[in-house]
Amino acid sequence: MPKLTVDGQELEVPEGATVLQACELAGKEIPRFCYHERLSIAGNCRMCLVEVKPGPPKPQASCALPAAEGQEIRTDSEMVKTAREGVMEFLLINHPLDCPICDQGGECDLQDQSMAYGRGATRYDANKRAVTEKYMGPLIKTVMTRCIHCTRCVRFSEEIAGVDEIGALYRGEDMQITTYLEQAAAHELSANVIDLCPVGALTSRPYAFEARPWELKKTLSIDVSDAVGANIRLDSRGREVMRALPRINDDVNEEWLSDKGRYQVDGLTKRRLDKVFMRKRGKLAESSWDEAFKAIAKAKPGKNVAAIAGDMVDCETMFAAKALLGAMGSKLLEGRQTGMDYDVSNLAAVNFNTTFAGIETADAILIVGSHVRWEAALVNARIRKAVKNGAQVFVVGPKWETTYPATFLGEDLSVLNRIPKALGDAMKKAERPAVILGGAALAQGALGAGLKLVDKFKLVKDGWNGFNVMHFSAARMGGLMLGYAQKNGMADVVKAKPKVVFSLGADEMDFEPFVDALKVYIGHHGDKGAHAADIILPAASYAEKDGTYVNTEGRVQFAEKAVFAPGDAREDWTILRALADALGVSVGFDSFAELQAAMIKAVPALGEEGLADFGDLPKADSKAKAEGTIAAYPIKDFYLTNPIARASATMQQCSAELIHGEELAEAAE
Amino acid sequence: MAFLGKIFTWWNGATIGTLLNSWRTGEKVGTDAQGNTYYRAKKTKEGARERRWVIYEGANDASRIPVEWHGWMHGSFDDVPESNLPPAKIWEVDYTPNATGTADAYRPAGALERGGKRAKATGDYEAWAPDS
Repeated sequence: MPKLTVDGQELEVPEGATVLQACELAGKEIPRFCYHERLSIAGNCRMCLVEVKPGPPKPQASCALPAAEGQEIRTDSEMVKTAREGVMEFLLINHPLDCPICDQGGECDLQDQSMAYGRGATRYDANKRAVTEKYMGPLIKTVMTRCIHCTRCVRFSEEIAGVDEIGALYRGEDMQITTYLEQAAAHELSANVIDLCPVGALTSRPYAFEARPWELKKTLSIDVSDAVGANIRLDSRGREVMRALPRINDDVNEEWLSDKGRYQVDGLTKRRLDKVFMRKRGKLAESSWDEAFKAIAKAKPGKNVAAIAGDMVDCETMFAAKALLGAMGSKLLEGRQTGMDYDVSNLAAVNFNTTFAGIETADAILIVGSHVRWEAALVNARIRKAVKNGAQVFVVGPKWETTYPATFLGEDLSVLNRIPKALGDAMKKAERPAVILGGAALAQGALGAGLKLVDKFKLVKDGWNGFNVMHFSAARMGGLMLGYAQKNGMADVVKAKPKVVFSLGADEMDFEPFVDALKVYIGHHGDKGAHAADIILPAASYAEKDGTYVNTEGRVQFAEKAVFAPGDAREDWTILRALADALGVSVGFDSFAELQAAMIKAVPALGEEGLADFGDLPKADSKAKAEGTIAAYPIKDFYLTNPIARASATMQQCSAELIHGEELAEAAE
Repeated sequence: MAFLGKIFTWWNGATIGTLLNSWRTGEKVGTDAQGNTYYRAKKTKEGARERRWVIYEGANDASRIPVEWHGWMHGSFDDVPESNLPPAKIWEVDYTPNATGTADAYRPAGALERGGKRAKATGDYEAWAPDS
């Protein structure tokens, strides 16, 4: 623990800290462009210069200088001030005066720091450098003349995303950041370079010239595009969500966000359900709330009523539906739309127990039936970190492009019964072994066989639980906690022949078996569910209501309402509350606060933000055997997994260009 | 009638007082295409700006001063425009009177004078329709 002084203030810093970190610990602000906490140190912007004694009599780049015993650091001396002014002047020599027409304006590091640390005026009157435009795909807009060569984007692609897509050509002043062959950056975290870029060289293409940061209302929310539950900030203007940005949460998403979570928000203004529809003579026609409620009451469902939860609903909606069904005497609740029927008697067995932060420290990981890159892009980045620290990764299932070295063990699940030697050895040697079961494995009934691995690989140790199940629906864990599961999954609901089926934004389910039932769709987007429904009640999307979400590691998180739902649409719980009146039952709540209180009373874990405690893993059934093969993963197209994304023009373009791009090019030839 | 009008109205041309004052202290400088007459003071105090004024032919509307005389009125140049400025270009449009306060004044869409009806807003979201 070296002891040093910063501006006369004595302090002790951790071993291995840099001078920049020491200055930050002392509460000093050090301007920087290239340095980033989560990336490697480059030291090429020179903005973080400080005066250090002992050492050469010149300012030194603090980000790349290790803190040492007895250093005397000055951040406020004349030398530091002139050094910063000099660096800033050099950076601005080739930076265009674009601020009024630049999308980064108002949230630009260069703008802020030139105000704080730059000279008042320029002494430069020669021509500025110009750089040819680059193409980086449908999400990233480039104005490379503005680039200051910090190389954050290059380091992000290489280190975090694990793809060699962005790099630098040429040297010195002529250096250019490019994707080499003008190809699109096609990985799932590509748009994070936009946040990283300290200037306006990489900006958001769908958001180009849409709004200025100071005119946006910021709302703290949770991403529902996958089960990671990334913490996001929704920036809205008027009643439109303009963009979603990641918030920093080291336990969940660090400071990244998947492209889908970031760019599906433009789908919130497309294909919206804003009116009540009713099927009359086989055709959906506009109707009124009153008429629709009367029609539902006329169906006289009595006890024969079921509710299917969609992938993006919040816990409050699910609880309100549960209360409604409970008041009518039914328990037909199901959320696993595609018919999965794994055992949920112990939720610890279907939870991501290691936690996302924990999986980083694993040293041997077995992934069974999960396309982690598409099902949880941010978890994939974590696994890559583990691999960089020496972890070995094995995958059972069809091949997918990993961003780290991984051994594929084939598609046959029976390898779980007879463990290959390489896998067995790695797991035996590992101090922190982890197994991740994905949706494709659960669909094949591999949960029992997976639990047998707990004993075999000693996954549970002191302070370590290496058994994980990875879901990819934001509503899944919350739904399971609220009892949205039948013993045999959807089959039980079908067998019960309900007279009325409430679909809470469920679009992936099969409506065919419910031909005789009155299908009521309570959702926000016109997708498969709306087309199949008999009555459509317009509801609010995740941006338009307060709600609790539980991610796949059992983390309870609360999202706030950013904008109002369009047209006649109402928040889901109010619809269900009104339905209770129409059906003549009492659900026991009249306001959102009462609903939440009732929900927390029923499931106390939902009342506390943070990891829910599901207790110990169940004993494995010794007779459980893994059978069958994993033919394909449930996600066919990363960009089009939910109704919002399917409505989003940006996501459609991404899907066409980045996933089906090669097919399109071939078709054109 | 014209005489009575001169006494009792002030909105067409000069009042009797102005005419008297112009005759006594003013010196006629010129007339523009619309017939407005321009005057300047006979005597100017040492160091003070020369007083210049116009008597309109018809309605008293400052926007009727044509561009060439506008410069002279505001002291941009001292010579009379005819001898000072280049001839008018063919693309110069004729004078249009200021319509403010008249029936021809501009009314934005939705103004009560235009029926008070606004064009329907297109909406900030796209609604779903069952046959889409």
